Amino acid sequence: MVSLKQLFSSSLGRKYLMGASGLALVIFIILHLLGNLTLYAGHGEPMNTYSARLHSLGMGLIIAEVGLLLTFVIHIIAAIQVTMTSKNARPIGYASTETKGGPTKNTMTSRNMIVTGLVLLLFLIVHLKQMRFGPNVADGYTASLEGVMVHDIYRVVVETFQDIKWVIFYSASMFFLGFHFRHGFWSAFQSLGAINPRWSKPIYAMGLIIALLLTAGFFFMPIYIYATQGGAS
Amino acid sequence: MSFELKSGVPEGPLAQKWDKYKADMKLVNPANKRKYTVIVVGTGLAGGSAAASLAELGYNVKSFCIHDSARRAHSIAAQGGINAAKAYPNDGDSVWRLFYDTIKGGDYRSREANVYRLAQNSTSIIDQCVSQGVPFAREYSGELANRSFGGAQVSRTFYARGQTGQQLLLGAYSQLMKEVDKGKVQLFPYHELLDVVMVDGKCRGIITREINTGKVERHAADVVIMATGGYGRVYYLSTNAMNANATAIWRAHRRGAAFGNPCYVQIHPTCIPVSGTHQAKLTLMSESLRNDGRVWVPKKKEDLAKAPSTIPEEDRDYFLERKYPSFGNLVPRDVASRNAKDVCDEGRGVGASGRAVYLDFSAAIKRDGESVVREKYGNLFDMYHEITAENPYKSPMRIYPAVHYTMGGLWVDYSLQTTLPGLFAAGEANFSDHGANRLGASALMQGLSDGYFILPYTITNYLGTHATELLKKVETSHPAFEQAEKQVRDEIARLIANGKKGKRTPNEIFKELGLVTWDYVGMARDDKGLKIAIEKIAKLQHEYDNNMLLNDDQHLNTALQTAQRLGDYLELARLIAQDALHRTESCGGHFRVESQQDGEAKRDDEHFAYAAAWEYKGKGQDAILHKEQLVFENVKPSTRSYK
Amino acid sequence: MQTTHVTTAKTMIVRLKIWRQDSPKDAGRFEEYTMDNVLIDMSFLEMLDELNEKLLKEGKRPVEFESDCREGICGTCSLMISGQAHGPIRGATTCQLYMRSFKSGELITIEPWRARAFPVLRDLVTDRRAFDRIQMAGGYTGAKTGPHADANAMLVPKDLSDRAMDAAACIGCGACVAACPNASASLFTSAKITQLALLPQGHPDRKRRALRMVAQMDKEGFGSCSNLQECEAACPKRISIQNIAIMKQEYLKAAISADYREGLGDADA
Repeated sequence: MVSLKQLFSSSLGRKYLMGASGLALVIFIILHLLGNLTLYAGHGEPMNTYSARLHSLGMGLIIAEVGLLLTFVIHIIAAIQVTMTSKNARPIGYASTETKGGPTKNTMTSRNMIVTGLVLLLFLIVHLKQMRFGPNVADGYTASLEGVMVHDIYRVVVETFQDIKWVIFYSASMFFLGFHFRHGFWSAFQSLGAINPRWSKPIYAMGLIIALLLTAGFFFMPIYIYATQGGAS
Repeated sequence: MSFELKSGVPEGPLAQKWDKYKADMKLVNPANKRKYTVIVVGTGLAGGSAAASLAELGYNVKSFCIHDSARRAHSIAAQGGINAAKAYPNDGDSVWRLFYDTIKGGDYRSREANVYRLAQNSTSIIDQCVSQGVPFAREYSGELANRSFGGAQVSRTFYARGQTGQQLLLGAYSQLMKEVDKGKVQLFPYHELLDVVMVDGKCRGIITREINTGKVERHAADVVIMATGGYGRVYYLSTNAMNANATAIWRAHRRGAAFGNPCYVQIHPTCIPVSGTHQAKLTLMSESLRNDGRVWVPKKKEDLAKAPSTIPEEDRDYFLERKYPSFGNLVPRDVASRNAKDVCDEGRGVGASGRAVYLDFSAAIKRDGESVVREKYGNLFDMYHEITAENPYKSPMRIYPAVHYTMGGLWVDYSLQTTLPGLFAAGEANFSDHGANRLGASALMQGLSDGYFILPYTITNYLGTHATELLKKVETSHPAFEQAEKQVRDEIARLIANGKKGKRTPNEIFKELGLVTWDYVGMARDDKGLKIAIEKIAKLQHEYDNNMLLNDDQHLNTALQTAQRLGDYLELARLIAQDALHRTESCGGHFRVESQQDGEAKRDDEHFAYAAAWEYKGKGQDAILHKEQLVFENVKPSTRSYK
Repeated sequence: MQTTHVTTAKTMIVRLKIWRQDSPKDAGRFEEYTMDNVLIDMSFLEMLDELNEKLLKEGKRPVEFESDCREGICGTCSLMISGQAHGPIRGATTCQLYMRSFKSGELITIEPWRARAFPVLRDLVTDRRAFDRIQMAGGYTGAKTGPHADANAMLVPKDLSDRAMDAAACIGCGACVAACPNASASLFTSAKITQLALLPQGHPDRKRRALRMVAQMDKEGFGSCSNLQECEAACPKRISIQNIAIMKQEYLKAAISADYREGLGDADA
């Protein structure tokens, strides 16, 4: 067996990391969307229940969060390394380039995964700051759930999206998520070598469906809140 | 320098000669092998396989090629296949039959012992290549597939789609790269050979020019192998690659290596016709197409303007099937080419130029379906479509003969040694196995036989025989190297100095040389025409020496390379004409108009059953003829009949 | 009426913007040339041949470019033509490109392959020896010259053999690298790894091959594969990126299971 350092510092090794972490993140984001659907289900109660149940996992949640963080970090570091290697591989660019069409997946979005990725990273930082590390119980964001005091995450969400600039920021960011997934989903399978000609097209099509569903799912949440509770405050 | 032609063929029955050679040869012990350096010039099938095999034996090999990579030699363009007497189809093939077909196909102008050895080695070549991972075509059973080629009535041709040469070359190349990785082969890409260096009567090195920098270098060794291909580019338009050239063999010839049978040039029947004066090379359509394609022209001249599909069956002249019922469209190349020329000369040639015949697949498409035809020949059909913008699935291809291969080359003995001791020649660069005409799918066979299975023995024998002398190393500071390098530098300097006042580009003179050689030393030759050719070549030589334009740039400079190579072509063209002029018989690819019977070529065994080996006497001088009498103990030369 | 390609003596005007660079050390620049009366039935390289004849006569240095077989098999010709490797036709090399693919008066930009691993030697000529070094690292079976078992002693299923041939069709031209936005050599490297992974002959040293060839590819300074599939689009032999997926499998399997001595350490030595 070759050392892990050698494996993961090779160009292929980095792609395994990218692909595997990418797929893990796809699964996380699908779950995240499903959880967030509680937003539509009523004025706060369903979402706060969902949140409370997650937090009741205690140590389990912390482990999951650390794991998730690591997955993000691996994905980001590998992406940056891949990008740097590739930039370095062509010091002088072409006067013009044009795709040759045919089977190519060379598009504005697939070429700019690092750009959409970095936008998503920015989004992630803002998002974590506002939601994960935003106003908490100590700040008085509490709700009563069958007599138990829990964190009123629903209020945090609502307050954020009562501000039009955050609505725009969140919803716009979701387009980048869509673009990233459009290439990323199929690409992860290819990076892992887990593809053959028969599955390639269905997987690529599935990538489009997932990208559309996730984008649409997240895109409408801020707008829904703004539309239904925008003037309430 | 004069020489004696000793073929060095071992005594004994034909089938045992090569075994006897191997039994009697001198060996070199493993520790001593490390002390020898072998230079191999060229990395085609012959050069690549020789370099790899010799390195595996333990010799230090220096491998030179003009390309950036050893994978680009023109062997790569061979399409159709490689012959081997495996007899897998159970159709009556044998080593003897392959030998017989090759001798007969060569019109009884090759050495029996060499050809027999080639047929013997053929089966090992297939085993060797399969073990390298060459993806030959296979049947559903998992066994290797075969097809037929011209000049044979058995199916003994192995193939890898229409890219057999590529796959065989990549096999040899990969084996070579394995040895480079091990440090046994040192690669010298971008190096063009400009002279060979003789020290005390033995070839001990070469002078090269590095194409990408212009640097002239000396390289010493104990033995030199030249596997630099043929000289078809003398005709300017040929199927040879742009970089294929005769400089290496010609420079060796200038140093004293005899040139064998220069007039034996193969004109391949199935090429895409010439379409204008701008063309730089012609494109071959594989002979394998003649397995399924039918060659015809209209019977009546008034049908020439009609679309071929509208000409009814009874108005078509399938002239090869008509004249040669038993071989039909699969007659040897020289016969097919000459017949195409004849029908065009009669005014029945098709296409705008009137210099083309149809190669029609409609019968095969009707019989087997388009998909079967596509699987067999798809890439060739695509190639035709790209070049002509016509769809060969819908209308027949138009084809015409073009220069393709040169059977002549450096004269070599049984061990592939030239008349310069220590200088060996392999593959198309030598004259050895194909006589006056080469059969299809035999060039790959010969290149690999020379490289994998002959030179490893004969080089060892040479080194073992001359061990005492060769173990004394020659340094590149030796005066012989100094003199040769100076000569090379002077020639380049002279070209550039003359180039400042010249008016005509090297390519213009080259194109003109091509017209002269094609018109007068091409498919039909006669006394008058050959004499005109010699005069015209002399004029072009004068033009070359006094009025050639060249830019003053010694770095990477394609025009300078062309100019250098052209100088050698001019001298070689003269020798081809001289050889063709002296050989007043018709044989194989050499057709003398004066020598025919009932419209078929007429050989003259009484006066010409020999290989011509020419000795260089200086620029513009007539070369001196030496003869190696050909002895036929096992086959009786007869009139070749494919009827 | 019979269609004839030879009689159409149609001509066109060609405007060219060509990269000129004297040596690897010099900075390059674009120069523009115009040619009238270019026959539409000329090949692209024949058009450049004519340009060079003209330049030579004008006392200017001709444009250096590479070509050899001019029938699409040797892999010598290159050229980025108006932003596309080997020009606009799919499944063809530059030497198989004809002027009828261009419009009269159209400005055609011609650049060399661009990659750190393919330095420009002069004008449009690049040094592609990095491919040779990748090949050296393991693109072979260990078979030596000599006696081998009869070729039919080992049966190879036709489908495997055909797929191996698909991969083996690579001509080593470098279009995959040139067209890849990342200048990755994954398609080239994977084609050889796949060919020998599919065939039983390649099995004894398949792990060593995958590890060493990938290590060499990285060492040459090629970029990383981002699965854009532009290489396949540009490949004159239409080699599929499926080969890259197989390379990924081969490499991962080898990295996990190979003896250390077969691995990267060896390649770096």
